[in-house]
Amino acid sequence: MSSGEFGDSNLRLEEVSMQSPLIVFNSIRARILGDVIQKTSSSFPLASIENELTAALYLERQRLKREKRSLFTKSRLQKDRQIWNQVQHQLLQAPSESNREELLKQVLGHYVEEIGGHFSQDVYQFATKAVPVGFNFLLNAASVNTLLPWKWTEDVQHRMNLTGEIEHLRKLSKKGTILLVPTHQSNIDSILIGYVIFLLGLPPFAYGAGLNLFSNPVLNFFMGNLGAYTVDRQKSSRLYKTLLKNYSTRILKEGVHSIFFPGGGRSRSGAIESKLKLGLLGTGLEAELENLLEGKKKSRVYVVPLVMSYHFVLEAGSLIEDYLAEAGKHRFIITDDESSQFSKVLNFFWQLFKAESGMTIRVGKPLDIFGNFVDENGESIGANGLKIDPVKWLSSAGGNLTSDEQRDRVYTEHLGDTLVERFHAENTALTSHWVAFSFFEGLRDAYPDHDLYRFIRLSTAQRVLTWEKFLEKCDQVRERLRVLEREGRIHLSPELRDRTLAEAIEDGLRHLGTFHGNAALKRTSQNWMTTEDMNLLYYYRNRLAGYGLSRLADPRQRLPGRQDEKGFLV
Amino acid sequence: MISRSVVAVVGGGSWGSVLASLMGKNVQEVRVWVRDEESAREMNAERSAPKYLKDFRFPETIRIMSDIERVLDGAPSVVIWALPAKACRDRARDFAKFFKGSELVLHATKGIEEGSMKRVSQILVEELPLRRVGVISGPNLAQEIARGEPAATVIASQFQEVVNVGAEVLKSPFFRVYPGTDVAGVEWAGTLKNIYAIASGMLDALHFGQNSRSLLITRGLAEMVRFGVVMGADAGTFLGLAGVGDLMATCSSPLSRNYRVGFALAQGKKLEEALTELGMTAEGVRTTQIVAEFARERGISMPIADALYTILFEGVAIPEMLKALMEKPTVPDRF
Repeated sequence: MSSGEFGDSNLRLEEVSMQSPLIVFNSIRARILGDVIQKTSSSFPLASIENELTAALYLERQRLKREKRSLFTKSRLQKDRQIWNQVQHQLLQAPSESNREELLKQVLGHYVEEIGGHFSQDVYQFATKAVPVGFNFLLNAASVNTLLPWKWTEDVQHRMNLTGEIEHLRKLSKKGTILLVPTHQSNIDSILIGYVIFLLGLPPFAYGAGLNLFSNPVLNFFMGNLGAYTVDRQKSSRLYKTLLKNYSTRILKEGVHSIFFPGGGRSRSGAIESKLKLGLLGTGLEAELENLLEGKKKSRVYVVPLVMSYHFVLEAGSLIEDYLAEAGKHRFIITDDESSQFSKVLNFFWQLFKAESGMTIRVGKPLDIFGNFVDENGESIGANGLKIDPVKWLSSAGGNLTSDEQRDRVYTEHLGDTLVERFHAENTALTSHWVAFSFFEGLRDAYPDHDLYRFIRLSTAQRVLTWEKFLEKCDQVRERLRVLEREGRIHLSPELRDRTLAEAIEDGLRHLGTFHGNAALKRTSQNWMTTEDMNLLYYYRNRLAGYGLSRLADPRQRLPGRQDEKGFLV
Repeated sequence: MISRSVVAVVGGGSWGSVLASLMGKNVQEVRVWVRDEESAREMNAERSAPKYLKDFRFPETIRIMSDIERVLDGAPSVVIWALPAKACRDRARDFAKFFKGSELVLHATKGIEEGSMKRVSQILVEELPLRRVGVISGPNLAQEIARGEPAATVIASQFQEVVNVGAEVLKSPFFRVYPGTDVAGVEWAGTLKNIYAIASGMLDALHFGQNSRSLLITRGLAEMVRFGVVMGADAGTFLGLAGVGDLMATCSSPLSRNYRVGFALAQGKKLEEALTELGMTAEGVRTTQIVAEFARERGISMPIADALYTILFEGVAIPEMLKALMEKPTVPDRF
């Protein structure tokens, strides 16, 4: 267990600063929202406003047709319809009769009200007390050997295996603004990340959360008061996207540490993110540049990856189905998956805490807005260990600090590529991922001509491997993983790295098998291994995709997100 | 603005000297780095590059130096990198600490790194503390441009800024700059054509005419596209100046170094002999080795490159190889 890494860092909760920029931000919220509207509206030339509004109207009408009505979305949708009816009405009038600029501001005002985060200190204090108590309760209740209440001493933070660049993150949070970018597998991530930030003794973060999370009454109450702002991936108009980016830029500029999932939604395939949403990611650079142009002393924005590894993912079943149906790709949001069922969530945490190392959360090496590593003093370190001065990178050939949209987009693309690479490098392979991957690939050896879709439809009788073959494959894959770990391209959990093959396999099978109704992997007799659910198996196997471990993979190409000729993620 | 700027050229070979003199007419000062002090002194005094270019004179704005720290002092706005591919990694590592990070770097090197198969722009980004890098490439025989004959080139970079500023410092009444974004395509095209330039020199030494050369250029281009696309280039780039343009110039001109190596080989000289005689780098020889070996391993069809490889490194005689090529079954005449 790597809990030691965390346990040693002296955690002094009482020292958590309540004078956080987020609280300050909240007190001037109205002004900031006004500024953001102003900045956004002035970024559209007068002549283009009509077109932008018409485009937005069309896209919003399409969206409203798709949206499902529920108790929690009803009033929001009603307001949406109202404003867009109004826009339609006014656009039908001649420009002389209805002021387009005013109309634009109204629309932006409507959007920003929905986006704009809110923070309540009282709720924060309540949540940070209640959640750990709840977690600890579950943890201790789930532990077999500490059934008696007075023995409830085990600490949930140790079970989380929180590891990585924790001290570094703490230090940087005092030197600049943190943009925390986690991988995203489950809706549970949001709860855990909030808790992690609290555990680390960091002030509350602004959190860019999917609007769908606000449809859940419990989450809505907390999120609405914990500084979360909404990111609605369904809204695709340029007006909305520009406003959202300006909002994120502005809060970063105010020094409010922020979080958003750069991959957009949860990973459908189970693989680590390989394509990132660069729009929001680029707000880090924009904020730093604006800070520099304004001559602010504390100008830096640090991009810190956070990679979470779970033995099992609550919504795995729905996610992989969505991926395989190719209905995924973020075209619609699953609103009624496992995470909206209370009993399943509870069961998830129960299983999580029952497992000795149900998850690993790794704070990755901090990066600057260009994707360079950052040292403990907050300085960017570039090629050959040389210090990078962001001012130089943001200056034109004439030597002046300037904004250059095209240049900054290229810088951000590079940051995105680096993040994808870092996500893979900071990932912790768990025994469950490994057994799933080994079995899956072992089985593929028997059906080399099958493409993905034929393969996952193999009959029950066909989906078997001998125990020997499985052992052999596990051994091979583990060796290759160890090499990757030595090269700094992945981390292995201690169970996977150090235990004997038999012990490690047992650990993997136990964890992989426990959570879902159908066993992703199970040993049917002394000699045979099988799977009851190929989709789930593929999902967990994909956690080790992107490393070139698959049979047809060519390790020299950039791999993340690539599929081989048979459609498997390599 | 540009007229008051300082720019630098790292490498004072023939192409580096010509690029420096082009810029010399547009900017306040051009500093050229050369390896040894002796040549720097000589070039400054003579205002010419006698080793590479006949009847060529540097404009007054040009200063030749062998101290890189002085060349890069005060961060020149543009740095043109014109060193042989083989020297790029080590030189970049040595010079890295003198870069400030605001420089826009354009490289004019045609070649790739052995082993890693990395392009020069990738090497520069890995070794220098900056990211704004681009490539300049095209049908640019240095001596013709030195004489002021009309010509054009391509500058490609992911950064629009690098392309724009590069075009501005290089502009001239007889030299056109075309913008591009396919950095990988331009670099691979400039690298790969050297293979066919060697082959072209051989054809001429054997007194073959234009049909043979056209056959070589056309089917060679198809090989270049196939290889380039695997390496992440856009096929269309190969139809531009940096692709077929450069290929035709290099294959047709006795001025091209790679052509001269091929010519000498077909006259019966040994490879080492031919290279010594040339006295300059012929990137094509190394490129043939790297590319043909990679193509074999990956099953990329490149019969001409492969044939040249067998001649250069496996000791197969030219006529024998030519016969084998001509007898090969044909494939449809497309990429």
